[in-house]
Amino acid sequence: MMNELTIAMPKGRIFEEAYQMLIEAGFNLPEEVEMSRKLMIEIPEEKIRFILAKPMDVPVYVEHGVADIGIAGKDVLLEQQRVVHELLDLKISACYIASAGLPKTTMNEIAPRIATKYPNIAMKYYKGIGEQVEIIELNGSIELAPMIGLADRIVDIVSTGRTLKENGLVEYEHITDVSSRLIANPVSYRMKGNRIIDLVKRLKQCVN
Amino acid sequence: MSSIKMFEKPLGMRDTFPQIYEKVEAVRHTGREFLRSRGYEFIKTPTVEYFDTVGKASAISDAHLFKLVDSQGNTLVLRPDMTTPIARVATSKLLKEKIPLRLAYFASVFRAQETEGGRPAEFEQMGIELIGDNSVFADAEVIVTAMELLKQFGLEEFKVTIGHAGVLNCILQDYTESIEQEDTLRTLLVQRNYVGFEEAVEAFDLPKTKSDALLQFIEEAMTLKEIKDIEKYVRKNDALDYMQQLAKLLEVANLADYVAFDFTLSSHMSYYTGMLFEVFASGSGFPLGNGGRYDGLLEVFDSKVGATGFSIRVDRLLETLAGQTVEKEEAIVVLFAEEDFEAALEKVQAFRLAGKQTTLQLRSSLVDEEAFQAHFTKVVVVGLGGNDDE
Repeated sequence: MMNELTIAMPKGRIFEEAYQMLIEAGFNLPEEVEMSRKLMIEIPEEKIRFILAKPMDVPVYVEHGVADIGIAGKDVLLEQQRVVHELLDLKISACYIASAGLPKTTMNEIAPRIATKYPNIAMKYYKGIGEQVEIIELNGSIELAPMIGLADRIVDIVSTGRTLKENGLVEYEHITDVSSRLIANPVSYRMKGNRIIDLVKRLKQCVN
Repeated sequence: MSSIKMFEKPLGMRDTFPQIYEKVEAVRHTGREFLRSRGYEFIKTPTVEYFDTVGKASAISDAHLFKLVDSQGNTLVLRPDMTTPIARVATSKLLKEKIPLRLAYFASVFRAQETEGGRPAEFEQMGIELIGDNSVFADAEVIVTAMELLKQFGLEEFKVTIGHAGVLNCILQDYTESIEQEDTLRTLLVQRNYVGFEEAVEAFDLPKTKSDALLQFIEEAMTLKEIKDIEKYVRKNDALDYMQQLAKLLEVANLADYVAFDFTLSSHMSYYTGMLFEVFASGSGFPLGNGGRYDGLLEVFDSKVGATGFSIRVDRLLETLAGQTVEKEEAIVVLFAEEDFEAALEKVQAFRLAGKQTTLQLRSSLVDEEAFQAHFTKVVVVGLGGNDDE
């Protein structure tokens, strides 16, 4: 008997790309899925159930075991440090995390301030280079912070660099590369190991 | 921070309501009978220990310890695990009386909470420690006991994953070129970050034979059928022989179906020096328990006799058993009027003698009689025109 596999997926573009990869990997999925407002998609032919979540929430579902596996950005994994197995780099939605600020500026010497939606990643990075900083956590439009004097630097995702440029910011340090990863719950990884490893093997051939 | 409301408990602390309490009791009873029948003696240790002894020796990281200060200024901890206190008491006292020593426990341990729900800061653990036997038979006994204990609870869908620190160390040592590289890879394995492992191997710029071997090892280790499949990666060593012996013993015990070997299994606990294992079961998103040989911990307490053991988390065990239906116990209530107290007393005594759970309640104290009665399987009214028999 094959048991049901629950896959947590981020809504939007990553879902579509990952879904195409699964089809390429030979999974019998309907060509078109009606996304609309549905949060759960059942694929009885493959005994797969997708749950659609906010990207930041995928590792939460997987860690608690309500989803067996999931697709999550490396940025989210680094930020949250959850206990999940990182099985495969899907190499989709590749980008990187970098620090940026106004051109030709140095950081405040007494208490440099960093605006970011990744407080843990930023803190760890600056600690690593021996710099004590103050973190200001924001939820969006991070680029505003240096322009209006809220922070010396921002730490954020960069894909093309266009947003930075349009807001008159320059990149200072490349912190880490980011792409989507296939993650698994540790218990599911053991109890449904055959299915998960099979899926990893098949997806691995479609990567790149 | 908002001010504390009167109904609040400290973060991660939970009440145990009667229904759950009974379930925990049932688990305790079954577990206790089972472990005692195998010669394990139950033991209790203090809830509070010194930070400098048990706190520091424990594998639980500092950030997760509940700390207090006593009147002399010593730092105390709420025990974060049971293995460390047992190692303390065994090395200082019990081993002088009996060796090897077989001890069991069922106790609460305390780990300071992180912010998220679903992680109790106090939870019960049940487990055993077999101290003073270095043989592979002791390790086999511990694993077999863990598995049979789970079966005793009626659990069928579970897996025990076994690895060996020695085998992993040997592989990491042979195929890397510095201790730093070795540590990096081990840390990545503890986090089960296979992507990171592959990236790190590539970044090390190792000779191709080495990096290929590491990548292949990790791939194969994930789907290992038999121990001998791993032989080609490891130079002949004692750890591997040990695991082969262990595998044979588990086969003899007829439990091989529940076992998987995984030599990438690694623990952040540096005192796991040899065989180590993790227990998984469907129904809980988190591992049910773990165990292994921890000779290193005994060395912290100046003993070289070696020890092995396991512990199961009772809260997670209850999650996996949630599907099992529990028969509702018969509960009788005898309602009486003031003037019929004596007759009521006789009635309850008869029930109680027959071993029935019986509550005695003055009828006129009840505000909502119907709601109260709903909690019982049988209601007997004495006097006040009530039917005397039922």
